[in-house]
Amino acid sequence: MKTSLGFGKLLLLVSLFSLTGCGTYNRLVTLEQTVNKKWADVQSVYQRRADLIPNLVSTVAGAANFEKSTLTEVTNARASVGQVKLDPSKAPTDAAELEKFQQAQGQLSNALSRLLVVSENYPQLRATEAFQNLQAQLEGTENRISVERNNFNTAVQEYNTALERFPTNMLNKMFGFKARPFFTAAAGAEKAPEVKFDFSKPATPTTTP
Amino acid sequence: MLGASLGFLRRQFLGPILFCIVLAAEAASAAEVIPPKPPAYFNDYANVVSKEKALALNEKLAQFERETSNQVLVAVFRKMQSDSDVADYTRRIAESWKVGQAEKRNGTVLFVFLDDRKMFIQVGYGLEGALPDVTAFDITERHIKPRFRTGDYTGGLEEGVDLILKALRGEYKGGGETAQEKSRSTASSGCGPLGFLVMLIIVLTIIRLGRRKGGYGYTGLGGPFISSGWGSGWSSGSSSSSSSGGGFSGFSGGGGSFGGGGAGSSW
Repeated sequence: MKTSLGFGKLLLLVSLFSLTGCGTYNRLVTLEQTVNKKWADVQSVYQRRADLIPNLVSTVAGAANFEKSTLTEVTNARASVGQVKLDPSKAPTDAAELEKFQQAQGQLSNALSRLLVVSENYPQLRATEAFQNLQAQLEGTENRISVERNNFNTAVQEYNTALERFPTNMLNKMFGFKARPFFTAAAGAEKAPEVKFDFSKPATPTTTP
Repeated sequence: MLGASLGFLRRQFLGPILFCIVLAAEAASAAEVIPPKPPAYFNDYANVVSKEKALALNEKLAQFERETSNQVLVAVFRKMQSDSDVADYTRRIAESWKVGQAEKRNGTVLFVFLDDRKMFIQVGYGLEGALPDVTAFDITERHIKPRFRTGDYTGGLEEGVDLILKALRGEYKGGGETAQEKSRSTASSGCGPLGFLVMLIIVLTIIRLGRRKGGYGYTGLGGPFISSGWGSGWSSGSSSSSSSGGGFSGFSGGGGSFGGGGAGSSW
């Protein structure tokens, strides 16, 4: 019984292979590796940002009576980012896992942009070369993050599409290829949020008669 | 059976088709214009630098590629044709121009948008070590910006170029040729008459297309051509110098890519 099942599977495999060519399998492997490579790139740019934060915090803390709550917020967000550790060499297969990671990073993004907004109130701090340089580095890192996230999503899309396509979609189950989740462009997480202090205008309704 | 297979087909194809439509709609709504690949290293579409200085800067940048293989470009435009952030927009432009050699990814482009009073240095992946964001920021903020503020565009660009080259020198070694010169010499020696034939067909096609569209005027055999939408002035200068032979070095992208490195300032 067991052997006949194995034989049946083998027969199916062979016939599928002859149908698609083993090029499909190799293509999937390549695509999956590209996804993993892009994931590593994403991780390294996020790490780069995390590495900048101690320096930023100490520079800002040096400014006379800088608002403490914003600083603590950044430090806390930085710490919680450190807790959501994902394997840097392998892209996550679980959407919830990626979501958690993205949320932690998004929180740090928000805390950082709030810090930059608050720093507007400290012209002396902003005039220092150290702060300006840090800001340039931080902006560069945010740019890199958005680039690498996009590259990752493109790679995932190509891989997932290849998986779903007939007849590859019959093969991938057998070899254990799994679709990968995307980064989602959640409101406020992708772009640094713009902070506006305008309370005079009522919210405009989305539906107008 | 037929219904099932139709449903299957729909599931397989409707998604991608919808995705394409959404993408197309997005591209249309953004109304962004990525300028075409520039003909030269130094491209002043806004006409603020004199022809002699522009040619001198162009030659300096071409020589820099021969020595180091780094491709450094300058592009001065009047206005940004995008609603995006300047960092985001210029990265996409640099990427589409393929500045830098493919394996070393060593391209750098200084973008200036005069009417927007914004500039940005885009740094390719391979040069992020030699020209980190802090250095790029230092160049735009503390060296170019003060000169631009007084209206000294030529001086600001000259100083900016000098500082960029200074930072990048020593990172890579060049082969004594620009990407364009290399592709020319291999095309003539490697492929012989066939290569020539292919080139001839391409050139003829471009000329014909240029006539039909009227948008991109082809200004002479082998010379650079330029979009009329991005200002005039440079096209006459560059084409005359290239047809006179020698003196002008044209730019061809080597296939470099950009990852968001660099920095910019507004003045």
